[in-house]
Amino acid sequence: MIAGRLRFETSHATEFVDVTKLIRVEVQRSGLRTGRVHLQSLHTTVGLAINENEPLLLRDFQKLLERLAPGDAGYEHDDFARRYEISVDEPVNGHAHCRQLLLTGFATLLVEEGKLVLGRWQSVFAVELDGPRHRELALQLDGEFEKKRAASRDSELIELELARQLMVDPDPVAVPMRRLMEAGGKRLRPKLVQLASQIGPHHDALRAASLAAAVELLHNATLVHDDYVDESTHRRGRPTVAAAEGAERAIAVGDYYFAKATRLIAEIGNTEVTSTMADALEAICAAQIDDVALRGAFPGDHDSYLRVVRGKTAALFAASCASGALLSDAPPDVVEALRRFGDLLGIAFQMADDMVDFSPSSGKPVGLDIRQRVLSLPLIYAAEDRSVGPEVRRLLAGSLGDEEVDRVTELVTSSDALRRVGDEARGLVEAAVRELESIELDGLRPTLVGIARSAVDRTA
Amino acid sequence: MNVQVLERELDRLEGLWGEGLSDTYRAYLETVSDHEPEMQPKLALAAALIEVGIRLQGLGGHAAPATILLMGDLCLARASRLLADNATQAVQVAFAKAIEGVSAAAASGKPSRPVRELLVHALSATA
Repeated sequence: MIAGRLRFETSHATEFVDVTKLIRVEVQRSGLRTGRVHLQSLHTTVGLAINENEPLLLRDFQKLLERLAPGDAGYEHDDFARRYEISVDEPVNGHAHCRQLLLTGFATLLVEEGKLVLGRWQSVFAVELDGPRHRELALQLDGEFEKKRAASRDSELIELELARQLMVDPDPVAVPMRRLMEAGGKRLRPKLVQLASQIGPHHDALRAASLAAAVELLHNATLVHDDYVDESTHRRGRPTVAAAEGAERAIAVGDYYFAKATRLIAEIGNTEVTSTMADALEAICAAQIDDVALRGAFPGDHDSYLRVVRGKTAALFAASCASGALLSDAPPDVVEALRRFGDLLGIAFQMADDMVDFSPSSGKPVGLDIRQRVLSLPLIYAAEDRSVGPEVRRLLAGSLGDEEVDRVTELVTSSDALRRVGDEARGLVEAAVRELESIELDGLRPTLVGIARSAVDRTA
Repeated sequence: MNVQVLERELDRLEGLWGEGLSDTYRAYLETVSDHEPEMQPKLALAAALIEVGIRLQGLGGHAAPATILLMGDLCLARASRLLADNATQAVQVAFAKAIEGVSAAAASGKPSRPVRELLVHALSATA
């Protein structure tokens, strides 16, 4: 059995909100093949109805409700002088409660072959009777679920949850974010959330998918601002939000999804998860400031690099692992081991990412980090190299045109720098894997180890 | 809020205190009397950081230069952490919705209600 909530905003005092599509998405992402969807209104002024979604008919229904329980009929419920313990913002809504009595607050829908069983003209409505407001319906799905490979289903769940979240956002923010999301991305952080969420005794796939999607939205929100800060024109082969739609839009899109992600995390209602993610977000922002400040001393040194990368990249990896485990009520030692695993993996991932900047087969323009003076471990090691170091440092101290960038790239690839970075990244991954040795992972160790090793053995 | 706590919460943002953050903080402090006494300064600071952070970023106006944007981002992140550690779930959600509303309006080129009004309202959110 899977439980969840359908959340939506209403915009009128009386409104028939067609929630059929939202329920279909829930059925699809749950993998329910044959069974039932139980719906329950969580409000005394929201009813449920199954009927035809034809605008004139909906107006007829509205008029019928108004005739049966007119707004101005005079309701004892609205006589506040005779009521006790009413809040200061108590609405005058006796008519809405009476109208709800004429509807139902519950509905059970059948599911067959993974699809809602509805007649050709049937739609499911949440009937707002005292809006506009934020509303919730409780939802439970039970029956036979698909026995697909768990990993594949989890990936689908993330994508469906991301699509569902973007579907309800206003176009000016959703369109650029969708473009960024659809361009790819490894979804490593949400995968880590989902895997870690299976470790403790209480695994809830839908809550884990919500948290995983929030983490991915948060990550992409930071990328939108990063691209403006770094003056990047392209990401994942497409124009950045700042380049395509201007800095003002990029700031608004980043802020919107920063806020939305924190809201989704807060709505999960696990205080430790909320605090863990908030700490990570703060670490990311502080590290971004350090990163930009260090560009004055480009290419920097190993200690500064680690400090920045730990905040900028590893903090969210660590938080993803820890928060997933916290969500499933995993024991504290398991949470902390996973947090350390994520931290080490995040640093290794960033080192591998730095190496991609020197790989012609990556699909990205070679030398972008050099041009943007982004902190990069291969550059730090090349600058320390006895033979190429002096020339690298001299070039990096001056202005960086195409010729200089090409020459620095050549010097880095001809030196020992890339091998050193690769060795260090693989060493960190093995250290991360060792963190998993002492804890009970319910059969998930091979998957986590596989993700960790593939994160550093990549060319793009 | 004692001096040590305040200093920690203003790490890297000290310069903002004399540039309007302290006044904004005091303005919010007058609106949080319904909350537990020990939470009041933290909630007021969170609200002030959001208001100042959004202003620094230039949200809804001209985009701030990169380094200033990052300061604004840190203000929002710090506020988010203060709320995560000290606010009820309802207040956290209300703050996030307020920022969503302001940024969606900015992205659409539409006017938004004043940030302070939205945040004062968010501070009174209940489950």
